Amino acid sequence: MKRTILLIIGLTITAIYLFPLYWMYLTAFKASTEIFQYPPSFWPSDPQWNFLEVWKARDMGRYIWNSLLIAVGVTTLVTLLGTGCAYVLARVRNIWMDMALFAILMMQVLPSSLMVTPIFVAFNQLGLLASPRFAVILAQTAKMLPLYIVLCRATFVQLPRELEDAALVDGSSRIGAFFNIMLPLAKNGILVTSVLIFLQSFGEYVYARSLIAKNELQTASVGLQSFMGPNANDWNGIMIYAAIYVTPILVIFMLLQRRIVSGLTAGALK
Amino acid sequence: MQGIIRTIRDGSGFDILLLLLALVYLVAFSAFPIIYNIIMSLQTVDMFTIASFDRPFVGLKNYYDILSQPLASTIFWNTVKFVVLSIVFQLSIGFGLALFFQQDFPGATWLRGLFLAGWIMPALVVGAIWKWLLAGDFGVINYILMSSGVTDERIFWLSDPDVALYAVIIANVWLGIPFNMLLLSVGLAGIPRDVYEAAELDGAGAFERFRSITLPLMRAQLGAVISLGVIFTLQQFDLIAALTQGGPANSSNVAQYWSWQLSFQTYEISLGSAVSVMMILFVIVVAAVYVRSTHHEHSY
Amino acid sequence: MLQIEIDNLNKHYGGFHALKNIDIAIRNGSFVALVGPSGCGKSTLLRTLAGLEKTSSGDIRIAGTSVIAKPPRERDVAMVFQSYALYPHMDVEHNMNYSMRLKRRPRPEIAARTRAAAETLGLGGLLDRLPKALSGGQRQRVAMGRAIVRNPKVFLFDEPLSNLDAALRVHMRSEIRKLHERLEATSVYVTHDQVEAMTMADHIVVMRLGVVEQQGSPLDLYDKPANKFVAGFIGSPAMNFIPVVVGPDGQSLVIEQDLAQPLVLNRKLNPGSRLWAGLRPEHLSFAPVKGDLALNADVESVESTGSMTFVTAGVASQQLVVAHSGRPGVERGAVIRLHISLENIHLFDRETELAVSG
Repeated sequence: MKRTILLIIGLTITAIYLFPLYWMYLTAFKASTEIFQYPPSFWPSDPQWNFLEVWKARDMGRYIWNSLLIAVGVTTLVTLLGTGCAYVLARVRNIWMDMALFAILMMQVLPSSLMVTPIFVAFNQLGLLASPRFAVILAQTAKMLPLYIVLCRATFVQLPRELEDAALVDGSSRIGAFFNIMLPLAKNGILVTSVLIFLQSFGEYVYARSLIAKNELQTASVGLQSFMGPNANDWNGIMIYAAIYVTPILVIFMLLQRRIVSGLTAGALK
Repeated sequence: MQGIIRTIRDGSGFDILLLLLALVYLVAFSAFPIIYNIIMSLQTVDMFTIASFDRPFVGLKNYYDILSQPLASTIFWNTVKFVVLSIVFQLSIGFGLALFFQQDFPGATWLRGLFLAGWIMPALVVGAIWKWLLAGDFGVINYILMSSGVTDERIFWLSDPDVALYAVIIANVWLGIPFNMLLLSVGLAGIPRDVYEAAELDGAGAFERFRSITLPLMRAQLGAVISLGVIFTLQQFDLIAALTQGGPANSSNVAQYWSWQLSFQTYEISLGSAVSVMMILFVIVVAAVYVRSTHHEHSY
Repeated sequence: MLQIEIDNLNKHYGGFHALKNIDIAIRNGSFVALVGPSGCGKSTLLRTLAGLEKTSSGDIRIAGTSVIAKPPRERDVAMVFQSYALYPHMDVEHNMNYSMRLKRRPRPEIAARTRAAAETLGLGGLLDRLPKALSGGQRQRVAMGRAIVRNPKVFLFDEPLSNLDAALRVHMRSEIRKLHERLEATSVYVTHDQVEAMTMADHIVVMRLGVVEQQGSPLDLYDKPANKFVAGFIGSPAMNFIPVVVGPDGQSLVIEQDLAQPLVLNRKLNPGSRLWAGLRPEHLSFAPVKGDLALNADVESVESTGSMTFVTAGVASQQLVVAHSGRPGVERGAVIRLHISLENIHLFDRETELAVSG
């Protein structure tokens, strides 16, 4: 009985919390006149499906493509650079490693909006702004790499040291033990962390806004921002845009929810 | 040469190689920009000198200029309000939810997981949704507030200078709740059940158990969550960009947004750098405190 | 022929001197146990043999060749780990033949040797199982199989039985011993359990705080412990120690605080020297034996396992444990005569703790 009451309270709290999401989808399905009704309706009286129109009108394909390109680039670069570092930081314990880990933790907290000024000026001088999406990948990789290392390190810490020792005694080199034993065993953690990095980079805004000048190279987040403009009132269209943008993210998240949660908590607290 | 190959194959050369891969990248794209930022904050950097390597050195003039602006104190207090209020509400709501979902009922873990949807979404999208929820004329929040009798008149959340900052804070609290709840849940789960049972046998009521067991045992955890909250709140940019862009009349502007505006909208890049240097310094101090506190957690 | 020679080996971890001047020579085909309390350096020594730990100075030779600068894969040693360290993502067959696959042995040879090792260990039906689908005993066997399949120069065992329950441990003990007799491969076996060392090894190395305290055959260590530590460590229940002082005649031992009952020995000792007298519980009895002497003692507690009875007896302010096979028929609170066979008294200097002969 008590558990049923708790369940009902739990469902209510969750529903209240997720109300903004509901409102986004609801608005996306309402007709453009219905959204300005007062009092507002909490269920569409005449559900509309304007997704394709908005997709075309706002040229979303191009924005999403640019976002994807950047997210894939960042995830690839971060995984290539960070996995080995995470492994070493988990494996070797000495004062130098503690210092390296400390430095990495410090770099994890640097806000993009503050780092973008020197990055913009330096990239401009180096000529990197000529390929702005690449510039965003470089900057966002520096932002995501520490987080990836910290979370991935937690995965490697959980692997027994003796497995690697066994591989070495069995005749493996360090390189072989890393690729044949440690990497396959850390696969899940690496995958989940990479998904996390991907999702974060897919929604990146500051660097894209500041480093990309040409509209046709812009990302979906900047596209949404320009859609909203100062006097926006096409809320129907904006919510459709938002829904198209976040639905894949939410789906991936729901599929991997359990793993992401455990990966996050392990990384944040160790 | 042979020796190098050998140490990479079998020795610690392998560790060093892997470590350097990431560290060199981070030095180039994180540490160097910080140093460059400090240098720029001591120079005059604007549209004309941006591409030059030989810029006039002006010492601490940028810092003086920025701090002597009347706007500086507005933004300072806005930032303090933004951080403190965000954390107070994120933490108390997050802690409450963590305690609630700690109860034993079907689907507790699953429902708790749903909250993280708010955390995984791009902040800009969250900003867009809240902008619509908080809209003055047709926003559903105003409808709910008025129909339930909390207020008689519409609140112009985003265009009224007196409330714009609070609108941003509300959206930021919504974003921050999941993370607070998750971390505190982990801490709560780490308290052994038998400690509570022992306290119950000793005659402690529910409130007394919370006060004398939960809170003291969660102290390290709360410290970590607060430091992380400060760090994440100072990273918040997208939400402000989507909701108010610091306006109206800077009433909801905070330091990290101001720094960006100086650099990218008015092109007073060295002033932007100066603000950025001060804020980065502050964030690093908070982070150092956080890392130290989690280290202490290890030993106990 | 010597299979393993360890010469003056030292290891430092920062400021901590983990191994101090270790000298051990191991004959080909022998079964050596490294034994000592936790933290004594026995596992570190085993890992340096495998090449998993670097050494600070000294030399290790396996089959006559120095391996000190070689990585583990070039040493041709196999190791059974305490946690078994089975590769969780490989089935039993692949766990066992991983080393041969790394060496790129021909397929038929790999298959044949894997099958042979599996037969030996009774793992025939389990070759396609993953480690998580095996019981503790089966995992232990796979770990052994992974070692024997390679036919290495040396087998290293790092407390391989400590994760098994008591009955299985005793069973595996004799299996490992049998396997060793069949393969006749040089084995080094780390354990903290001296019973395991005594029953399995033909050579025991007792370590403490990074130092080899004594090495020799199991019965040597039991009969002639070189110092008080080894005497106390080898044998179960542990040896009793009572503080004594040599009388003016150089022959009698006076138990401190019990001047009334001197022990008279037929040895020449320095009068007045302060010693520990070591008495093994099994060398104390309630009935007279040949060449003994007797003390008055109070029975303080009686614990029986059924076949054995352990009696704690108080002599002056000292407590002595007596091991008696069967039921001695003494009760708590009784005053009894305790008989000590004189030839079995061990003496150790109280300052240096070294054995004193005379």
